[in-house]
Amino acid sequence: MAMESVEAVVAHIQGLSGSQEEVAHLHALLKQSEDALRSQAARLGAFLHQLDPSVHTLGYLFLLEAYSSDPVCREQDGDFLLSIVEFINSCSAEQIRLAPEKFISVCKSFKDKVMQLQVPIQGIVPLRTAIRKLQVSSEQLTTLHSDYLLLCLLAKCYKAGLSILDDDIFEVDQPRDLFLYCYYGGMINIGLKSYRKAWECLHNVITAPMTTLNAIAVEAYKKYILVSIILNGQVPLFPKYTSSTAQRNLKSHTQPYIDLANCYATGTFAELEGCIQTNLEKFQSDSNLGLVKQVLSSLYKRNIQRLTQTYLTLSLQDIANAAQLKTPREAEMHVLQMIQDGEIFATINQKDGMVSFHEDPEQYKTCGMIEHIDSSIHRLMALSQKLGSLDEHMSCDPAYLTRIGKERPRFDFDEFDSVPHKFL
Amino acid sequence: MDLSPIQNAVASGSYATIADACDELMLQVASRGIAYQEDWPFTVHLLGHIFANDLNSARFLWKSIPQGFKESKPELVAAWRIGQCLWTRDYAGVYDAIRGFEWSPEVAGLVAAFSENYTKKMFQLLSSAYSTIGVADVAHFLGMSEDEATNYALQHGWTMDSPSKMLTVKKPRIITEQKLDPSRLQRLTEYVFHLEH
Repeated sequence: MAMESVEAVVAHIQGLSGSQEEVAHLHALLKQSEDALRSQAARLGAFLHQLDPSVHTLGYLFLLEAYSSDPVCREQDGDFLLSIVEFINSCSAEQIRLAPEKFISVCKSFKDKVMQLQVPIQGIVPLRTAIRKLQVSSEQLTTLHSDYLLLCLLAKCYKAGLSILDDDIFEVDQPRDLFLYCYYGGMINIGLKSYRKAWECLHNVITAPMTTLNAIAVEAYKKYILVSIILNGQVPLFPKYTSSTAQRNLKSHTQPYIDLANCYATGTFAELEGCIQTNLEKFQSDSNLGLVKQVLSSLYKRNIQRLTQTYLTLSLQDIANAAQLKTPREAEMHVLQMIQDGEIFATINQKDGMVSFHEDPEQYKTCGMIEHIDSSIHRLMALSQKLGSLDEHMSCDPAYLTRIGKERPRFDFDEFDSVPHKFL
Repeated sequence: MDLSPIQNAVASGSYATIADACDELMLQVASRGIAYQEDWPFTVHLLGHIFANDLNSARFLWKSIPQGFKESKPELVAAWRIGQCLWTRDYAGVYDAIRGFEWSPEVAGLVAAFSENYTKKMFQLLSSAYSTIGVADVAHFLGMSEDEATNYALQHGWTMDSPSKMLTVKKPRIITEQKLDPSRLQRLTEYVFHLEH
């Protein structure tokens, strides 16, 4: 079939964007015209004005994608960005989902441009809109998720990342998306000082299925070590479901951090400082120095918290000694701050210069706490149902059945045969 | 640039909503490629974060403000000083930062509301953290003179031992809701059903 002219393609778009059948027909025609469009990329800018992005979404998308893949066209700054923003805002989600790779390609060009011009903040709202339109449900992870988080990080708009991070993800298309998404998610939570959430994100990266080690997992493990220390004072062992690749290889790439964790366990401030000095350059080049400093300042808290396990009351002077602080007043201020942050339950008695440690006064009887437990149970039930249906789904999957069929030993005819023979 | 959502929030005294309104509007404006920084109400934005006790966002906002603005807008710098004191836990410094500047009418209400909240929160902290505490320290943490602080504490039921100038804290009785409603029973039934299957 002869290559269609751009004018003819545009006419098709305008004529065939009415109903679902028309659009399906249009889609086929557009796919055939891809080469024609690409070869005339420079002219497409003018044609875009003849189309309405909200009605002619699919056609607009094909033209826009051809236009934005052309390196020369990308150099046009202002209008290029604004036209993509306009498109993302007004496009029809249904039509977008017919050609997701093209939509993603356009969004990636947009993100690259915004980064090149050093205005990441400009890309945040558009990418957020793009994700919501591309997703079939909020449980689906798209390639754009990690791009969005990257822009939030670069623009230092960490809170903006939360609207996407708060979604529970159950479907992942590309493993690489998951690694990046969780890694950036960890970094955003670190920026917000939500260490527990950061830990969960980074944990997902290092325990994700891996046949070969990747750089994202290595960097994630470095931060994982630091966040684990800040949260719990120690680095947990790899859980059973961690890939053997990760278990065998991650530690050898992160030795300075393992050394730091070991040093932390001794509890001495001077030793920890020494360890940090030794590996300073490494921490700096990994951009982890800020996090390392927080590990250092968490040592005071850790040492004070340890005291609560042994003592019911202790003098401020003793606390100062145990935590290697210079004066009882410093100890008092540390304890006050920890009480303010809810990291310790204690009362200071200035008259006697003593601190009394208490149990957590939470009795789990309040309405607020019941709501919290309630919603947690609900989430668990939903998760359990999801896992149940995933399991059912998988047990019907031909690939899976072939695999277990092959691995089964041969049984006699009388034996109950759970796998149909056609799969053997 | 239509700043009315922010201006309305300030005018109506819904100070807790200012920060979110500013954040969202800033992202929207930036996405249209508008050079918004010249006219952006950074001081209100910063104080909004401080009011909501979101010091992380306050710090990131401060870092993103162009250096020129920091030098030419003294009110912005004064607002940041409050945030700095909060961040470094310089409890008394916060009061100095609040009182050490002649706030413009636009933000005066916001700063005053913050100051009141802060004093209350500090008093709550002292009540929960101390069993006995010296008058000098209470004055220090509440940004009041020793007499004012003593009166404030006595009004809240604390007792004073005059010779040693020690105040004994009276813990406030926390009344928390503990009533259950009938819909709980339905929920519990659902849970048991789920566990059985």
